[in-house]
Amino acid sequence: MSEERETRLFMISPDSKLTPDQLVRMVHAMGLEATVKETCYGCLVEGPRELVRTALENVRKDHRYEVFSKVRAYPSSDPRRCRAQHGTRPGYAQLEAEWELLPLIQHALLHAEAGRPYKEPEEAKQFPVDDFKKMCEANR
Amino acid sequence: MRVFIDPPNSMILYDLVERFGHEPLSSMAAIQEMIDNLEVDMPPMNVTIDDVVRGLAYAGVEVPSGIRGRLAVWGPLIDAADAAVIMTDAPFSFGCVGCERSNEMIKYLVRRKGIPQISVGYPETAEQAETVVGMIKEFLEGLA
Repeated sequence: MSEERETRLFMISPDSKLTPDQLVRMVHAMGLEATVKETCYGCLVEGPRELVRTALENVRKDHRYEVFSKVRAYPSSDPRRCRAQHGTRPGYAQLEAEWELLPLIQHALLHAEAGRPYKEPEEAKQFPVDDFKKMCEANR
Repeated sequence: MRVFIDPPNSMILYDLVERFGHEPLSSMAAIQEMIDNLEVDMPPMNVTIDDVVRGLAYAGVEVPSGIRGRLAVWGPLIDAADAAVIMTDAPFSFGCVGCERSNEMIKYLVRRKGIPQISVGYPETAEQAETVVGMIKEFLEGLA
């Protein structure tokens, strides 16, 4: 994997009172030589991998359950990707879907890290043959 | 340990794997490799013919080229993985789960490799989310 550059996406959970502006100021205040770009969902931080990891650790210290993160393949503002420059890969459908799910994940993380038990998922049962037969013959 | 996530571009799974102390293997890193080392053009030509040929290691020639193209990127990640976290029944827009045949192939390749894996359902309620995160946490903490 590439070691020089890392572009990391920081996304704020909809349940958080943190704003993208506050997050960007926080990363800027760390004094790291990394590029920070404010976005509607949080921010993008780009720079040498170690610096970006430091930014992640510092953000997690203060906002452990409110800010989620992953790496991004394309550099920040890359013309092949950026919507502002009419890039050809303007896909945010997935990020939007995950953004909607973040409050549940935030709640679940708090629950799990408090050491509380969770309900075991129900095992999938086989569908009874008689019921299946009834279903097949329902409109005969 | 290196943990393969499915959907391979999921932020939530990437974040959880990293949070619980492992290295997530995602399509973002694989695509970054292509972007940094090769030229990916402005038109949406994400795969080259070489990628599709490389995909033959993971799927037969009769398999549609779209699936082989995907597996050319995801296959090496599965090869490099020590464990896998798989989210099933996700809605269409969650991750790159639009191609069910590719998803089936991923599950098959992970099973064939015989690495530890956990399969969790997509959470719809707070209770289900507690179960999903609790199971993933236990699984990741249990990896050596």
